[in-house]
Order: sequence, then C-alpha cells, then structure tokens
Amino acid sequence: MNLRLKQIALPLSEFTLEVDVEITRPVTAIRGPSGAGKTSLLDLIAGLRRPKSALIQLDDRVLTDTATGRMVSARHRQIGYVPQDLALFPHLSVRKNLLYGHRPEGKTADGHLFSYQHVTDVLEIQSLAERSVVHLSGGEKQRVALARALLTSPRLLLLDEPLANLDSGLKAKIIPYLTRIRDEFGLPMLYVTHDPDEVRDLCDHQLWLERGRISSAPR
Amino acid sequence: MSVQEWQIVWFTAWVSALSTITILPFGLAAAWLLARHEWPGKSLVETLISLPLVMPPVATGLILLKLLGRRGAIGGWLHSRFDLDIVFTWRAVLIALGVMSFPLLVRSTRVAFEEVNPRLEQIARTLGAGNFRVFCTITLPLASRGIVGGMLLAFARALGEFGATIMVAGNIPGRTSTLSLAIFQNVQLGRDNDALHLLGVSVLLAFAAVWGGEYFLRRKPGFK
Amino acid sequence: MKQRPPPAAFGLMLLILALPLRAEEITVFAAASLTDSLKEIAAAYEKTSGDRIVFNFGASSMLARQIDEGAPADIFFSADEAKMDDLAKHDRIVPSTRRSRLSNSLAIVVPADSGLTIASACDLTNAAIKRIALADPQTVPAGIYSRIYLARLKLWPLVESKIVPTDNVRAALAAVESGNVDVGMVYRTDAAISKRIKVACEIPRAEGPDISYPVALVKDSKETETARKFLHYLDSEEAAKVFGKYGFIVRP
Repeated sequence: MNLRLKQIALPLSEFTLEVDVEITRPVTAIRGPSGAGKTSLLDLIAGLRRPKSALIQLDDRVLTDTATGRMVSARHRQIGYVPQDLALFPHLSVRKNLLYGHRPEGKTADGHLFSYQHVTDVLEIQSLAERSVVHLSGGEKQRVALARALLTSPRLLLLDEPLANLDSGLKAKIIPYLTRIRDEFGLPMLYVTHDPDEVRDLCDHQLWLERGRISSAPR
Repeated sequence: MSVQEWQIVWFTAWVSALSTITILPFGLAAAWLLARHEWPGKSLVETLISLPLVMPPVATGLILLKLLGRRGAIGGWLHSRFDLDIVFTWRAVLIALGVMSFPLLVRSTRVAFEEVNPRLEQIARTLGAGNFRVFCTITLPLASRGIVGGMLLAFARALGEFGATIMVAGNIPGRTSTLSLAIFQNVQLGRDNDALHLLGVSVLLAFAAVWGGEYFLRRKPGFK
Repeated sequence: MKQRPPPAAFGLMLLILALPLRAEEITVFAAASLTDSLKEIAAAYEKTSGDRIVFNFGASSMLARQIDEGAPADIFFSADEAKMDDLAKHDRIVPSTRRSRLSNSLAIVVPADSGLTIASACDLTNAAIKRIALADPQTVPAGIYSRIYLARLKLWPLVESKIVPTDNVRAALAAVESGNVDVGMVYRTDAAISKRIKVACEIPRAEGPDISYPVALVKDSKETETARKFLHYLDSEEAAKVFGKYGFIVRP
C-alpha cells in the first residue's frame, strides 16, 4: 500500500499540523504525546476535515488535493475509522450498527471477502447481535467498533488509541484480534497509540508526532 | 358548555395541530442549518426567526395582513390567479399560528440537534452514508425527544395565539373563531360566565401541552 | 428712600394675569364614528377655553364596558342609546346631563376600484359579494343598526354567513379600504371622510334604523365643572355647524 501525506498544513489551536511523509508499510504506528495532533491527522486522512493545504493519496487515488481543489467526501474514501470514543450508535442494536456501512460484495485489494459471517467470526461477536450497544462491556464495544469499520470493506483502517480505555487484561485479549485483522484481512492499518508495547507486537514501523511535526522515531 | 363552544375548542385544537405539522419541515431544516453549519448571514437569519417571539403579535399580524391581503404581494397573486382568499379564512389562522410558534419550534429543535454528538454523524459518513442518510438515520432519531418537545411547545403557543390572528383572520364566528378570540369577544359582550368556560378549557389544554413539552425536553436523547 | 419695584416684576405680574385662570384636562370616551368631527370641535374649544380635551375613540360597547369597570372618563359620547342605558342602569352617568341631539344614517360602501353596482341592500345577497364588513353586529352600535335594518328587510339570514365582524365601525371601513372584503356597511359620515372607498348605496334616513348619539357626564368624573363646560359647548351653534359639515344630522 502507498499512502502519501504530502505538504499537509492544518492550523490547530496551538500550532499547525505539518506533515510530509509517505507510508508504505502495512501496519504503521503513530505515536506521540497527547495533543500532538494525531487524531486531527486521522481526521484529515478520513476526509472529515479540510486542511489548509494537502495532497493525500492512497495508492492510485487522490483523495485530497488543495492545489486542484479536489476533496473526495468521507463517504467515498473507503477508509475505515475506529475513533477513540468508538462512536457506536446508541439508538441502534449491535447488528444494525455493524450493518450500517456494510457492502456485501466488498473485497480487499487482494480478494479477501468481508462478509458479516467472517468478520463477526474473527472478532467473536456473533452472540451480541441483538444486544443494545449501550450495555456492552468495554471490550465488547471495542470489537463491535472494529467489526463495523471492517464491514465496509475498507482499503485502509484507521485506529485511534483502540486500547486506551482498556485494562491490561482486556488489552491482552484484544491485541490478538488486531493481529488477526492484520493477518486474515491483509488490511493496511494506521494505528495511533501512546503505548510502546502495542507497537512492538503489531506494527512494522513507527512515526513520532509531536506538536504537529513528525520527527525520527525514538525506538 | 354549548355545541358552539365545543366547536370553537375543536377548531382551535385542529388548526393548532395542523399549523405545527405544517411548520415542522421548515423548522427542522432551519434548526439543522443553524445547529450544524456556519454560513454568511447566519446571525441575521437567527434574528429574523426570533422576531415573532419578541415583536408585538399585532405587529407581526399587520405584516402578515399586508402580505396576504387581496392587495398584498402574496395574497394578491393567489386571489387573481386561483381566486383563493387567505385573509379572514381558516388559512389565515393557520399561517398566523404557524408564524408565531415557529421560533419556539426552531429553538427547541436546534438545541436537540446540537445535543447529538457530531462525532456520530462523522463516523456515519466514513461508513458510507450521505448527508441525507446521516440526517434520517442518526441525527433525527437521536434528536427525536427534543423535536417532539419542541412541537408540543409550538402547539401550546398556537393554542394561545391572539394578536396576529385577530389582525389577519378576524373573529368570524364558526369560521375563524379560536379559543382566545372567543374569550375576548365574550368579555366584550359582558358574557363573563361563558368566557370562564372557555378560559377553563384553554388553561387545561395549555397545561397539558406545556407539561408534555417540558417532559420531552427535560429527558436526554433516548435510545430504543 | 422708597424703592420702586423693578420693571421685570411688573412684566411677570402681567404675564401671570394674562394666562387663563385654570387650565384643566378632561377625558372624553367617544364612538369611533365621531373621531374627525370631535377632534375639530375640541381643537376650536381648546383655543378659547384653555382646557385640554383628551379622547379615547372606540366601539361604544367597548368604551361603555371600560367606564363600567371604572375607567377614568369624564364624558361618554355613545353611538346608541342602549349603551348609555346600560351605564345609567349601573349608575355610572349623571342622568340630568344626558342629551341626544346627533343622528346619522347608514351607507353601503365598496373599495374605490370596485366594479360592483349595488342599487339597494337586496343586492347584498348577490353571489358576487362574498364578504361584507360590519362592526360586530352583536355588540357595536354600527353593526347592530345594520343588522336591525337587514333583519327588517328579511335579508339578515341570507347574508349572515358573509359577514366579517370588526371591532368598530372604522375598522370595518378600513377593511373595505384594504380591498380584503367586497362590501361594507358603515355610517354615511364615515364614508364621507375616506377617499379609498366609494358609496355604492345610501340608506335613506326614513327607511333606515333610528340612529341616535347620546352624550352624558360620567358620575365619577373628577373634573365635573370643566366637563360640564365642554358638554355645554357641544350643544352650541359652532359645534352643530362642525357636526353638520361632516354629515351628521343635528336635531334641534
């Protein structure tokens, strides 16, 4: 996969997010202190924010190009997003949440099928289908949010601190799922975290974001 | 209470309900535009929408009269084209009630929309939903309690409307006589007892509507 | 040495003596149809007497009710005897001051640009006439007179559904001026002052209802002397001339 984030400039409250980088590894971590602009960067990639200047290209598709005024809307980017607060729809059941963006004919670049069966199987959430989203445990909510993003058959998965609100026991349980997503679905991921342990197991590569700027990763 | 008095109550109730339903789509649209977007002229529109709330109702009624009368910009066209009269008919009552209760509807609905977490709408977009689908499947259901509350408040306001209505619809017995207009006329006639009957009904209806409205507005957005 | 008072003191004394002895203010509650004529009469009166007249014009029914509830009126000038009788019954007026010298007649009016021809009241049943503006026929004198007249001609049940009742006779006139109604029934005197309407048909006095405008002193008036003076002036030749000019009939 090839994700180009060139000449990005997005003014934030205290500094400007300025990024110029090309990501080719399948699973890349973005680390940095809180407030560094990591979520804003993911928002830009997902098409939820408009930058002052940027060229964002995923493989052969130009998603954002301020030079030409091109801005593909979020709904057409085929980029899955699991935000930090999960944003599960509280008025819908688990099943309705999962199926919200589901495209049954979807396949990844190398032909994997994102079927409802397969995804719920991998993440072990079949039994939760008719439950109300509100009463799920932290770990269950996490997996539902992951599954929901996967079921849109995305070409790239963005994860914003997916394990931040979980205790270490739960973290240990979820990480294998993430590994499965990487292995079963072959899906490139951008993974925001401030925990070095998660990075070690899951990610091939790290970027360090501090005050809106990417610096060399302190490994 | 006599048959005529019940007729007045019935007329007031259904024309208030109909006016609330009629302004609903406009109210939702206005509330959504004000809640979710920034655009040039926004504060001007906000102020214009709030005007009927603060201006003397008879002043608003006068503006409507000038617009909707047979010689008015809108009324004149309707009269010459379709032989349709608005002023002094139930249609004028409908419009007067709608205009006067519109600001209340927009206010409550706007707050309801603002209370919906925008993150949910954003994520819905990443899941492939267009603006209309996001509005119908995410925003509207989560704001529904506030919207119902707003509608009940608007209904209550419509029930009690007087100043604009009397300007633009007159007080024609059997045709445009609403509860408040009928109470006024009974007082003028010195028929205080009859006025009291209607007053009692008026208080009951208003109480029920406002109580219901506050109930829906007080609770947080509900989920099934 | 005897000092002469300064010339300024003389001037001040003269000035004070020249002023009218006591400038009082009275409030007159009067029927709407008397608006223009009374204003002119009051203006002339104020010049000579130095008193000030404040008016409250409206439907006699509304005014009578207000006086009954204790509104601060000194004089009540009603458009029909019934409203004055009501107040007399409730002991609100001074009966000895009651006079009924003024009368009026009715007219059917249409907007100035209307194409309707109305030869008599019977034409009101015509289908082309959809709306008739009247002062409220249940309460306001002008409306009551009109209703009585139409009822006498057996026309009332036929036109009742077309009536648009207004708060007072001037509001009925305004409705016709605006073009929002096809026809109105007002006093001949009201029709005379408006250029935006034309008289389609006058109801001759002999045929029409007996219209009478009684005037009286309100019992609770705080300025009885000043009010009586004005009542007296209303009886005078000058006042009669002004009433006549506007089209009222002044009985001797």
